[in-house]
Amino acid sequence: MTSVAERPDPMTDPMSRHTPPAARRDLGWIGIPLVAAVGLAAYWLLPDDLALLTRIAASALFVLSLDLVLGYGGIATLGQAAMFGTGAYAAGIVAVNWNSDPFVMLAAGGLAGGLVALVTGALILHARGLTLLMLTIAVGQIVQEVANKARDWTGGSDGLSGIDPAPVLGLFRFDMFGRTSYLFALAVLVAGLMVARRIVRSPFGLACRGVREDPLRISAIGGSPKSYLVALYGVAGVFAGVAGALTAVTSGIVGLDSAGFPWSAEALVMLVLGGTGRLYGAVIGTAAFMGIHHVLAASDPFHWMGFIGLFLIGIVLFLPGGIASGFERLGALLRGKENRA
Amino acid sequence: MTKLLEVEGLSKNFGGLQVSSDISMTLNAGDRCALIGPNGAGKTTFVNLVTGVIPPSAGTIRLDGQDITKLPAAERVRLGLIRSFQVARLFKSMTVREHLELAVLQRGRRTFRLFANVAKVAGLADEVAGLLDTMGLSQVAHTAVGSLAYGQQRLLEIALALAMKPKVLILDEPAAGVPHSESQRILDAIDRLPRELAVLMIEHDMDLVFRFARTIVVLAQGRLLCSGTAREIVADPRVREVYLGSRADAH
Amino acid sequence: METMFGIAVDGVAYGMILFIISVGLSVTLGLMRVVNLAHGAFAMVGGYVASYAAQNAGLPYGLALVVAVALTVLATLPLERLLYRRIYGSANELAQVLLTIGLTFVIVAGINYLFGPTLKRIPLPEMLTGTVELGPKAIPTHRAFVIGAGAATLLGLWWLLERTDFGIRLRAAVDDPAMAAALGIRTERLYLATFALGTGLAALGGVLGAELLPLEPYYAIRYIVLFLAVVAVGGAGSIFGSAAAALALGIVDTAGKYLIPNFGEFFFYVALILILFRWPHGFFKGRAA
Repeated sequence: MTSVAERPDPMTDPMSRHTPPAARRDLGWIGIPLVAAVGLAAYWLLPDDLALLTRIAASALFVLSLDLVLGYGGIATLGQAAMFGTGAYAAGIVAVNWNSDPFVMLAAGGLAGGLVALVTGALILHARGLTLLMLTIAVGQIVQEVANKARDWTGGSDGLSGIDPAPVLGLFRFDMFGRTSYLFALAVLVAGLMVARRIVRSPFGLACRGVREDPLRISAIGGSPKSYLVALYGVAGVFAGVAGALTAVTSGIVGLDSAGFPWSAEALVMLVLGGTGRLYGAVIGTAAFMGIHHVLAASDPFHWMGFIGLFLIGIVLFLPGGIASGFERLGALLRGKENRA
Repeated sequence: MTKLLEVEGLSKNFGGLQVSSDISMTLNAGDRCALIGPNGAGKTTFVNLVTGVIPPSAGTIRLDGQDITKLPAAERVRLGLIRSFQVARLFKSMTVREHLELAVLQRGRRTFRLFANVAKVAGLADEVAGLLDTMGLSQVAHTAVGSLAYGQQRLLEIALALAMKPKVLILDEPAAGVPHSESQRILDAIDRLPRELAVLMIEHDMDLVFRFARTIVVLAQGRLLCSGTAREIVADPRVREVYLGSRADAH
Repeated sequence: METMFGIAVDGVAYGMILFIISVGLSVTLGLMRVVNLAHGAFAMVGGYVASYAAQNAGLPYGLALVVAVALTVLATLPLERLLYRRIYGSANELAQVLLTIGLTFVIVAGINYLFGPTLKRIPLPEMLTGTVELGPKAIPTHRAFVIGAGAATLLGLWWLLERTDFGIRLRAAVDDPAMAAALGIRTERLYLATFALGTGLAALGGVLGAELLPLEPYYAIRYIVLFLAVVAVGGAGSIFGSAAAALALGIVDTAGKYLIPNFGEFFFYVALILILFRWPHGFFKGRAA
């Protein structure tokens, strides 16, 4: 501990360390255009993999929602897919029955995801640890089970198909090569990143960071930790719901696994691969995970599981000082690269 | 003179153990009062009762005329009863500036603004700059608290309390852990607190107490032993007996 | 009436399997504070080993069972030393989830590599295939056997924890780890032994329950949610809590399937949320040993 005595007057002390204001945030401005640029480059460079790229973009938005919850609120959850699935089904049902405009579908998905998150969040976010993990899993299972049983609306275990979104803005048809799908997904992802960035820099984002670090101290300055967490969970639910809706728009089908426990767990893995608490980590992690998946799973899906399993174990074990510090360093490394670029 | 904090007959028993019994005291606007007493006198329990961390067994607490005895801790904070912590309890990864921004925003109930930019919230930057200046923390405004010197963390604790615009401020050993030679800086900061504030300081260090306090309240064994001006307290034989006696025991 | 009896028998048998597997998870969670998502994978390993021993090596059922439990414990002990020891303690929640998910994936991939993706069976001996008469009713022998094994496990654990030196130290360490360490209880060995007990129980349940929870590589992922649910409701570290929760969940789930076939699981999870909303530390925590 450096005591005050050893230090000269802080007013004049040149040794006081100055972290440049919001050094990490500065990267955000570079990060979002970078995602857009790399996304567009991929459009021209990998024209045969647009279906995969579209899935990556939509999934990245979902993982981004998990980053809001875990990276900025410190809520460990294995049930984020509940909101993704709800959003996907809501968008699909709206498209099949009433209105297939893609923006209407996204709005329906976001609304549904946000509502489910707010209601369930208020019920479960008093808990911690295993109990909370269990409750988030249970919410996901219930959503999945409801979708399974409401066959008339959701198609049950056959999935909800026949979603045929109208042209974007009445101009751009969803073509059979998936070009419109991909560009639409990329645009929604970039917009999502911008909104998320705005939120984490807002007074609300500041308060949530405080809750993650020390909920009791937040009470001591007159705040209610739980109401922040519920609100954050709700906001992230909107993101997850939009991501689900985006998947419904671009793939034209919604299956039961969109709300399942494995999808929640995979999102967590992708987020940790990319790094928590920095938004674009969600994009990096999703692209890496699904990219490698695409290559390895082509031969045998189990090879892929083995690989990703070993990778996870490696992350936990061989990043001294824990996962967070390891990703700090990874982040610094990436920051260096991006600054140079 | 405005009575800001009125405590009447405050008692607490844990099981059969009476840890606070029948404590009454009043703080007026502008008061600078020190709460002293030997170890185990029940000072911390008293603070916890007043701030709402634990519920009292009997008695009433009024803040600026309003009965707050049954209000939860966070609600008391919103009404202007603020404490600083004995051990600096801060958000390690956040900067000094972010702490004060958060406290000011929280006070104004502006923390649920999802799409506002913290840097552009009206009046926030000026108020935070003023607080940083008052506490001599401007130079370290952008330093993460985790890498701040301890004395500066204590100053930030006080700045945080101040950011919440208290009516009554309770400082729990504000100089604990700070080298003696540096406690003057803390005291200077306390001197700069707004005049109309009622300040209650819990402190062991008698030098600090006498430099700060105009009135002193002495607790012993969970009871109010006596209260009065610094001069009266020094002259009171009961205080000498209880205080010096137990001090000798401690060694 | 027939239906009610069927529900009772099937529900209790199902609950007993859930109990045998989950109680191992509960004990390790209670003592080492580790959320072990790979626990289902350990149960699956036990089942596969027994299946191999019985079908390919031609061992009798009883012997295959013993071999499966022993081999699973032996195979997982190095994991305790190499992996789990680093993530004990409730501060490591995220690391625990990630590491044990990773381990689960590796085990799923490994099982698929060794045994293939198809369903595996553990052939029951003649003795267990018929029915036993119970007054006017007949119960499938296998169900009766499972119920008996579950009850024996419960009694055995009770004896182990209440009547042996190991149990006394274990309970002391669960109640107050700091005090236990101060009393000179060697937590490292205690942890290792408890881990072995946990995986042994998982393997036992995996073998006994192969008829109810069929063996295939995704077993590890499919059923871990059930086991976690039992522990969450029963309360970490509580044996009777696990038993009561497992039986309750088993019966509710079975009754749901019989009576309202469309909403079995749904009721299961709604009940879970309601219980955990009211008792966040588990319904039975603090009520039973």
